[in-house]
Amino acid sequence: MRRSVGVAAASAAVLVVAGCGGGGPQSGGDQKLTGDKIVLGVLNDQSGAYSELSGRNSVKAVEMAIADFKAKYGDKAVTKNISVETADHQNKPDVANSKAQEMYDRKGVDAILDVPTSSAALKVADVAKEKKKLYFNIGAATTDLTGKSCNKYTFHYAYDTYMLAHGTGTVTTEQVGKNWYILYPNYAFGQDMEKSFSAAITAAGGQVVGKDGAPFPNTSGDYSSFLLKAPTLNPKPQVLGTMQAGAELVNVVKQYNEFKLRDKGVGLAVGLMFITDIHSLTPAALAGTTYTDAWYWNFDQQNREWADKFQKETGTRPSFAHAANYSAAMQYLEAVQAAGTDDADTVVKALEGKEVNDLFLRNGKIRAEDHRVIHDAYLAQVKPQAEVGEPWDYVKILKTIPAAEAFRAPSADCKM
Amino acid sequence: MTSAVDTPAEEAARPAPPSGLLAVARAPGWVRYALLAAGLIVALWLPRGIYPAVAVDILCWALFAVSVDLLLGFTGLMSFGHAAFWGTSAYVTGLVAIHAGLPFPAAVLAGALAAALLALPIGYLAVKRTGIYFAMVTLAFAQMVYYVANEWRSVTQGENGLQGVPRSFFGVDLTDDYYFYYAILPIVLLGLLAAWRIVHSPFGRVLVGIRDNPARARALGYPVHRYKLTAFVLSGFLAGLGGGLFAVGHRFVSLDVLHWTTSGKAVIVVVLGGIGTLWGGVLGAALVVRLEDWLSFSGFEAIGLVTGGIFVLVVLLFRRGIWGSVAALALRWRRPRRRG
Repeated sequence: MRRSVGVAAASAAVLVVAGCGGGGPQSGGDQKLTGDKIVLGVLNDQSGAYSELSGRNSVKAVEMAIADFKAKYGDKAVTKNISVETADHQNKPDVANSKAQEMYDRKGVDAILDVPTSSAALKVADVAKEKKKLYFNIGAATTDLTGKSCNKYTFHYAYDTYMLAHGTGTVTTEQVGKNWYILYPNYAFGQDMEKSFSAAITAAGGQVVGKDGAPFPNTSGDYSSFLLKAPTLNPKPQVLGTMQAGAELVNVVKQYNEFKLRDKGVGLAVGLMFITDIHSLTPAALAGTTYTDAWYWNFDQQNREWADKFQKETGTRPSFAHAANYSAAMQYLEAVQAAGTDDADTVVKALEGKEVNDLFLRNGKIRAEDHRVIHDAYLAQVKPQAEVGEPWDYVKILKTIPAAEAFRAPSADCKM
Repeated sequence: MTSAVDTPAEEAARPAPPSGLLAVARAPGWVRYALLAAGLIVALWLPRGIYPAVAVDILCWALFAVSVDLLLGFTGLMSFGHAAFWGTSAYVTGLVAIHAGLPFPAAVLAGALAAALLALPIGYLAVKRTGIYFAMVTLAFAQMVYYVANEWRSVTQGENGLQGVPRSFFGVDLTDDYYFYYAILPIVLLGLLAAWRIVHSPFGRVLVGIRDNPARARALGYPVHRYKLTAFVLSGFLAGLGGGLFAVGHRFVSLDVLHWTTSGKAVIVVVLGGIGTLWGGVLGAALVVRLEDWLSFSGFEAIGLVTGGIFVLVVLLFRRGIWGSVAALALRWRRPRRRG
């Protein structure tokens, strides 16, 4: 008898302590939010190679989403206390690991967004699974996130290697030329891209005449041996597909122009490119290049209006990563609003299978099978300098790739 | 014989006299015990004061820094490729833990042994050179190891990193970093104790002798290369111990552990803390890891600028590093009293 009293007293004490830890007397009401607030975490590169294309401006985009959410629901919002935590993972997976844990454990973050670099993203997905909190990947391209490393709490937004290769490879083969020469950086991302591209090109009736893995990282910045070789192949390639990204892409494109390959009848297709890359290279250097874009700011009125707001906040036009961060934050908040709680399992249920149309997701659907968020993608072509009407309006959209075609079917490797 | 006169490269590689260590060694017994007690208290308190995952990182980096200092401060060899041992051990530890399911200390031991094994051929070739050439040779080997890990995707998972390294320990749940910290603390302390013993043994004295005057050491009949090689392998083992714990601590291994910037960071940590002071490396590790952690939440966009700036300041103003400068001050303060 005495023991059961003791147990009861102890459990009462635990409950009291737990209640206080949860955020004081307020949390006892019908609001089922931990700490009576929602905290979003943006974990990305804010000082290195990816800081331009996402970085701190993605934090701004998430803040815009919070403001829009509050404006939309006003007093009916599940809470008015929504904040953003952010950290710079410097593209180091071990830093991403510690920061993700700290965000979930100490900063009360309900969902982490972004996280470029595959190794960092895979690690954060692991942390999300362990802590049973949500993670929306935007910055990393690896299909493993919706393949063998998929889990219940991780969603893959925006792009992946399949989407990039499938869009550019298929449409460019049909519209520009059937014979390809592929140049890729010789590491996991580049090798994946090369395989995906070759598959897409062959499926579209094209042919890969030659392919070469360039050293990665290519510290000398020299691609001349590959670029000089390309036009001499037999049959002569009509398209040079380069899988290099960021600073390496800049070097490839500069040398492609120096050797005047376009005049020699070899067009350029790029595996992965952001609007910020075109901005730093200038459209003149890239005119005619095709690539797959997940979203373009000047595609329609809706995008443009948002891009104007974004420019007021940041002084620059948004890349697709910025828009995707906005959309992921918004969809998370909407799901919490619908579920009335920030309990991760309930929110996941609310998100799974949901069909969405928003700023970023056109004909979007959050697939329940593998948590791939599918949406329309776009085949873009860089305009010649003469056609650029205003700053940042660098591309025209050749084709909209429907959501169902743009992404691969759910992988059998993914077991939730 | 001109070999008694150092080339400029050797001159540059030779650190300042280890005043920090001497200060501690010359200090009266109670000061030494007080320092030891204070250090232990801080070590025990650490995961309560700062985020436990960061505390775990500090322990691992402390071992790494001490291993580099063993070469840099006490043997006069500036290794710019220690990431090879730290990273090799991380991968071996991860692979052993994943595939053999051994308790983590056994996996870490396997990793450290692998690192020591790797240090043998690299060291054999590298110790034949000194100064900047030694640094270049070690860097070259470390880059080789990096590219092997990068290309050998079937084993290392390449760019994606080796995910899901378990923390098994006889069924004890160590997933919480707070408890994991205390689980690895004894291992790290053992490692530090080993380094301290090495430095204070007759073997360590010979190393210092070799550092200060290799020609004379050779003239006295010491096999200089063999001593250097032994120090190199021991250092590789200690770096491996840290790297293995780092892998288990983060429960994954990425290519970053083998990148040359990791070697660079280790040298920076030692220089900040104080070359040839042993404990300075521990202090430097705590400061650098904590600073980087703090900066990544600070919203400051140029993290490298801050750490780089601090490094430049320390090198310009406190050439003996933090520990070395404090110890030198303490010595100066004690000296008049001793005379009086």
